[in-house]
Amino acid sequence: MSDEPGSRSRAWEPVLIAAGAVALTAVVGSILLLAGGHSPVAAAAALVNGSVGSWRTFVSITLVRAVPLTFTGLAVALAFRAGVWNIGAEGQLYAGAICAVAAGLSLAWMPGLVLVPIVLGASAFGGAVWAAVPTVMRVRFGVGEVITTLLMNYVGIHLAAYMVHGPLQEARGVFPQSEAIPAAARLPLLLPGTRLHLGFAVAVILAIAMAVLMRRSRLGFQIRALGAAPEVARVSGRIRTTRVLAITFLASGAIAGLAGGVQVSGVTYTLLESFSPGWGYTAIAVALLAGLDPIGVIVTGVLFGALQAGAGAMQRDAGIPQVWVGVVEALVILAVLGLDRVRRTRRTERAP
Amino acid sequence: MTDTLARLSGIERRFGSVVALAGASLEIAPAEIHGVLGANGAGKSTLLHILGGMLQPDAGEIEIQGQSVMLRTPRDAWGHGIALVHQHFTLVPALSGLENLALGSGTPVTVGNAVAEIMERTGLRVPLDEPVSSLGIGDRQRLEILKALLREPTILVLDEPTAVLSPAEVQGLFALLRTMAAEGCAVVLVAHKLREVLGVADRITVLRDGRTVASDRADAFDEPSLVRAMVGGEVEVPAPQPNGASGEHLPKEERTIVGSLTDVRVVIDGVTRLDSVSMTMRRGEILGVAGIEGNGQRELALVLAGRQGPDGGSARLPSGIGFVPQDRSREGLIPSFDLVENVALALHQSDEYRDGPWVRWDEIRGEADRIVQHHGVVTTSTRTLAGALSGGNQQRVVVGREVAMATDLLVAENPTRGLDIVSATFVHAELRRLASVGVSIVLISTDLDEVLDMSTSVYAMSRGVLREVPSNQRTRAGVGALMLSGPADE
Repeated sequence: MSDEPGSRSRAWEPVLIAAGAVALTAVVGSILLLAGGHSPVAAAAALVNGSVGSWRTFVSITLVRAVPLTFTGLAVALAFRAGVWNIGAEGQLYAGAICAVAAGLSLAWMPGLVLVPIVLGASAFGGAVWAAVPTVMRVRFGVGEVITTLLMNYVGIHLAAYMVHGPLQEARGVFPQSEAIPAAARLPLLLPGTRLHLGFAVAVILAIAMAVLMRRSRLGFQIRALGAAPEVARVSGRIRTTRVLAITFLASGAIAGLAGGVQVSGVTYTLLESFSPGWGYTAIAVALLAGLDPIGVIVTGVLFGALQAGAGAMQRDAGIPQVWVGVVEALVILAVLGLDRVRRTRRTERAP
Repeated sequence: MTDTLARLSGIERRFGSVVALAGASLEIAPAEIHGVLGANGAGKSTLLHILGGMLQPDAGEIEIQGQSVMLRTPRDAWGHGIALVHQHFTLVPALSGLENLALGSGTPVTVGNAVAEIMERTGLRVPLDEPVSSLGIGDRQRLEILKALLREPTILVLDEPTAVLSPAEVQGLFALLRTMAAEGCAVVLVAHKLREVLGVADRITVLRDGRTVASDRADAFDEPSLVRAMVGGEVEVPAPQPNGASGEHLPKEERTIVGSLTDVRVVIDGVTRLDSVSMTMRRGEILGVAGIEGNGQRELALVLAGRQGPDGGSARLPSGIGFVPQDRSREGLIPSFDLVENVALALHQSDEYRDGPWVRWDEIRGEADRIVQHHGVVTTSTRTLAGALSGGNQQRVVVGREVAMATDLLVAENPTRGLDIVSATFVHAELRRLASVGVSIVLISTDLDEVLDMSTSVYAMSRGVLREVPSNQRTRAGVGALMLSGPADE
């Protein structure tokens, strides 16, 4: 129903922005690729081919890569909606992955029906604990969360590195990775014959649940009010702003932690050093492009998943060095954020 | 009135589907004080923003000294000697007053002397060394006026400058405006109090629904003719009823007490904002609190509304409290939310409007429809964003919402500031109606006339001390004296 409060976002606007961003990236990227002596045509062909070239590619590569981006995107969207600038999804994801592996390995005797929820629950707990430090610093001492969540990212990344060289390293002690979690701790495949696992369905369900909560529940309304105008929320006398802020912050951390747990349980089965290629940071672009709308995050999560899948193919098939892949990715994000800003400015122009 | 300094003609401006101006005109002559009047939403602010270069018209012409000009930015307007004093403040909160004044004009050192000279000449006093964030609204407005005067404008445009000033300061400001007009500067003034405008203006232009409907010498108008021009046709504006609240007929002892403050102290950053304040709220009473901005009324309002606990003493408060905060756009409403959601801000925790963890949106939508209808909010639907409404309509939404919450006590902080006479009359009638059905009202206002007209008991607030005004002292002069006295005068 379009009559619900908060559903005012115009559905076609993100699509237009995505199209515009692709066009802008194509122009600027072509110029840069030509200057670097690479064929833009070959690059574009590899990009498309490697992301949506076939059903199998789309499901097994693009959608699989979209899963952690969607989870972290939802985490960021939730926090930003409340005006909590959690840019620590990366660290929370690592904390979640560590807890997921630790739980999966130490409770290996449990049956699958029980162990998978425990592993995912442990990852959400880990993410929430990682977010708890900045939450307490913000609520008790008024320390800005931008800096604390950012710094907690480094702690999380290096804690994971320590784990795979130390306490959680595989028994042979050769590779910087953990033992693989038992089969009972692994997520089943969603589509047989592909690599798409149940985590994708979990992400979609979570997004829908979040959308419903935002529009219909009291907590969701309070989160939106707090993000839109903290002073009005406080003066209204009906919103315990500190409590709402803390709940949102911890929930955001839990969802980002879940991203790590789902990735371990659905794809890697082990904890690796440099486990994430920066999903927690790309998540900010995913969330902003979606206009912080949970359903939109699924779309933009898949979009960025396709971009990362295609970028891999550019390197592999068109022989374009990795740095160029990074440049193209960054161009897309810049174009998206720039165009999104333009849209916002146009929309807020109104009578004094 | 031989030559024209500035001429705006045929100005049109739309915001989305809302027509703000539909052919407005304004002619400004040198050395005159020009009053611009109109109901809320008539387009006064838009017209002034166009004159100040903040907005561009969709159609129409602007001439300055006979030259057709485009005012694309405020800087263009300054270049033509036009300085605008805003209704909404444009100061940087983290900077001091002096630093704000220096922005765009020089350095604090070079600006300091000029500021001192203007403050000396005008009697506008503002603490210049404190950060703006610690100043009250009155001081911020005075800073805005100082900022405009620093540009030595040939056309000074003031958008509702008097709303937050004390009576003495209004007189001081008007004296200054007359001095400036005598020196050849044109002054364009928007104010809501007709009496003020009639008292100071040489010419008056009236806008209605985005058009100029009257423009003439001030002595060609009187209050009734201005009201007719503003609202188009006859309207019934009830005459002020002094002490007109009901509940008067009951002896004081028989009116039930709904709450009380006992020796309440509030200390913020080591400064005592409320000092041993005691008051008793009874059903059917309107307690009026007069005072100059920044004397503790803000803290009193927050304590009475249960938004802030006292640091000392005790506050006994009822459960059904409505609170109309003074700054509707920053504290009362969320501009990016629609009217249903803004009504939900107050209602969503009440039992009738919640269902476990869920909000009962249908019930809240019904209440929003009722508020819009009963309070005459001009809007296409309750799906309209609050930010798209004019100030008067925004305040009707806030008042309507808080009245619905106020079963025991309503705390209203400057509830008619910036409202036109029709909206203000409506708010006053609503407060009286509420008192007549047995709600206790605390009306905190910097508008002395409002307090004197509305209240059953009058209090004066000065430097955190609250004093009840004896009935034989209930005059402008009597209350004014108490507003200015310090604790040591007792």
